Amino acid sequence: MGMTKAALVVADAGPLIHLDELAALDVIGDFAAVIVPDAVWREVQQHRPQALSHPAVKLLRQSMLSASAQVNAVAALYTLHQGEREALALCLQQHITLLLTDDTAARLAAKNLNINAHGTLGLLIRAVRKQHRSPAEVLALLAAIPAQSSLHIRPSLLDEVIAQIKAEWITDDE
Amino acid sequence: MSQTVQAEIPDQLFQQAQTLVHQGWAGSFQEIVNDALRRYLESHQEALTEALIQDDVQWGLHGDD
Repeated sequence: MGMTKAALVVADAGPLIHLDELAALDVIGDFAAVIVPDAVWREVQQHRPQALSHPAVKLLRQSMLSASAQVNAVAALYTLHQGEREALALCLQQHITLLLTDDTAARLAAKNLNINAHGTLGLLIRAVRKQHRSPAEVLALLAAIPAQSSLHIRPSLLDEVIAQIKAEWITDDE
Repeated sequence: MSQTVQAEIPDQLFQQAQTLVHQGWAGSFQEIVNDALRRYLESHQEALTEALIQDDVQWGLHGDD
């Protein structure tokens, strides 16, 4: 399927690890590049090194140019990890408006800094909108999350999400 | 009421916490653990997490990126 290159994004460790565990890292392959802060790179290298060498995804390892006072303020408020701090700082320094993260605190901090933040679930569902995966493939990936990935989500909520998007995609087909 | 738990903590984190205690920035290691746990629970409330997941679903389905 054809892919148009989307914007630059910054990634936290969660989505890189979880998507790779699901053999679905290619769903972020349409971003022009995925910037990976140093601390996040080290974290992924430790837990899921193969996620850093996917042929379909352009990952760029980057260091923070300088500490950000804005980020330091929200980091203290939300007790963010080093990787999350670096990711937010890179977003601000490079005017990148999308952060990929599965961490609730990091997402709240991003919102506070006017940065959009989305995670593994959103990226998988987006793959249908971008025509990288079929609805059936994504439904199977979502159902596989508890068994095949280390992403923690309440099973009944995951069931609700699957039912919700299944209903939406069925309606779209009609 | 309190519970006694056994948990493994990476050496580096333990050393950093002990340093804070020795320097007088925290009363005890126990106090740091309690504070860290409380802060985590505050920033990861279930309702917040669910709302963010719903936000993810809507972006996945209808986002304009």
